[in-house]
Amino acid sequence: MAPARLSKSLLGSFRATSLRPATARQQCCYHSYEYTQPPPFPPAESAILSAAISHVPSYGFTSNALKLGARDAGYLDVSTNLLPRGVFDLINYHLVTQRLALKDSVQFPPQDQPGTGKKLGVGAKALAIMAQPSYVPTSVAELARLADEIWFLAGDASVDTSWYTKRASLSAIYSATEVFMTQDRSKNFAETEQFLDARLEDVMKVGGFLGAFGEWMNYTGHSAVNVLRSKGVRI
Amino acid sequence: MQASRSLLSRQLLREVRQGVAREPYRCFSCTVRHAQQQPPPPKSPQDAPGTTHFGFETVAEAIKEQKVRGVFSSVASSYDTMNDLMSLGIHRLWKDHFVRNLNPGRNPLASTSTPTSTPGSASEPQGWNILDIAGGTGDIAFRMLDHASTINNDAHTRVTVADINPDMLTEGRKRALSTPYARSPRLKFIEANAETLDMIPSSSIDLYTVAFGIRNFTHKDTALREAFRVLKPGGVFACLEFSKLQNPVLDAVYKRWSFGAIPLIGQVVAGDRDSYQYLVESIERFPSQTEFRDMIKEAGFLVPGQGWEDLTGGIAAIHKGVKPIS
Repeated sequence: MAPARLSKSLLGSFRATSLRPATARQQCCYHSYEYTQPPPFPPAESAILSAAISHVPSYGFTSNALKLGARDAGYLDVSTNLLPRGVFDLINYHLVTQRLALKDSVQFPPQDQPGTGKKLGVGAKALAIMAQPSYVPTSVAELARLADEIWFLAGDASVDTSWYTKRASLSAIYSATEVFMTQDRSKNFAETEQFLDARLEDVMKVGGFLGAFGEWMNYTGHSAVNVLRSKGVRI
Repeated sequence: MQASRSLLSRQLLREVRQGVAREPYRCFSCTVRHAQQQPPPPKSPQDAPGTTHFGFETVAEAIKEQKVRGVFSSVASSYDTMNDLMSLGIHRLWKDHFVRNLNPGRNPLASTSTPTSTPGSASEPQGWNILDIAGGTGDIAFRMLDHASTINNDAHTRVTVADINPDMLTEGRKRALSTPYARSPRLKFIEANAETLDMIPSSSIDLYTVAFGIRNFTHKDTALREAFRVLKPGGVFACLEFSKLQNPVLDAVYKRWSFGAIPLIGQVVAGDRDSYQYLVESIERFPSQTEFRDMIKEAGFLVPGQGWEDLTGGIAAIHKGVKPIS
């Protein structure tokens, strides 16, 4: 009687959640095909930042780029106060928009190695700003979201602990490669690509070793238990 | 030295005694208890039609303006010393941070090298037009002009200092004499009520600042709407004001300090206990960060991020609002 009621009420709550009006701001912290994510930036901020991004190639991630962007968007210099973190907001905007654009720009044949095929680098100065203590949490969160996006686009659907290890290793490789890239003077960042390939290979090796080691442990453990059971030990 | 100290303490004692006789609950030992026992009156901005609050008292709206005027007339001359003593000098850091964050001034180097300068930018007035409300002593105004000149190499940004109180403006004019801006057209003092800025044309101001002033306004919402009117589209309303501490332990310490020490310092240094008692009570009565943020939003402003920035854990907070374009 009781379990039936429980299951019914559970079902009811599921129904209630599924019937929630779609207009209510649905916060999905996973990739959902059902809900459209709200735009990441409010319209006014978005207008200033998108205009400012076009000045980044000539001015870098600076407050000048922000001011020029504000002017282009019809705002005043002083309107850049709408962005409480200033230049970091510009960097963050670049990272977020590039991450969200990733799904439209990445095409790779099935059964291929995951590869982003797109350069997301922001440069040494921006990295320095991102590493400022007050911005570190946001920067790390953005890195985690990027790693998640890349694995999602690569078709990863793991639901075990490798979900975490994959994202952690990719984040580590990504940040290492980005730091390497700031010092790379080679043409078309060829050295960076080599570096990236080498790191990915490392991960394969280490991951392969860890996987094999885990399998061996699993096998040995089970064997040991079975041997003991065969000797009459009650396990 | 010894003699003057004993004189001071005797005077202090006498004043405290007088205070006891005059108004029993206003004495030093009672103010703390008074503040703790009597919870701040309801948060509604006005308790009854036609009345408003003056510290913890409820007074008729018409009287508040006069009373505030009286308070600031009496503290004008010792304003700076008192601020230093009460905030242990931290108010200077807050004001510096406030101005540096706003980054006033249009850098001519950045604008001339613009590859895609919009047509008509040459005819645009150079520099920012800043209105500093309740800035009688010029604290914020001088910092703004200094920042614009030295950091942004902008010799055109101008500041209009408006204050309701002529005594504070006199103090500011006096202080301006020791700055390079005393006789320049970049600095102007006007006597004005923030709720009716008729002399300021609509959509003419880049930056509207009010530092430690808005809590004394009789109608904060009217003042906010007036700020919205005078600002250009895209202009910024920036307010530095005492606020609510987020940490309850620090809050208890801070309450002790503000209700215990500040009126006493006021009595000893400025010889005016009641004005400083009003000061701490008005701080207590000022809306919290979220409430004030919502008031700014209600006036039509866009607020950046969460809408405010806490300073020293929330003792003061910087609130900003941007007037949307179109």
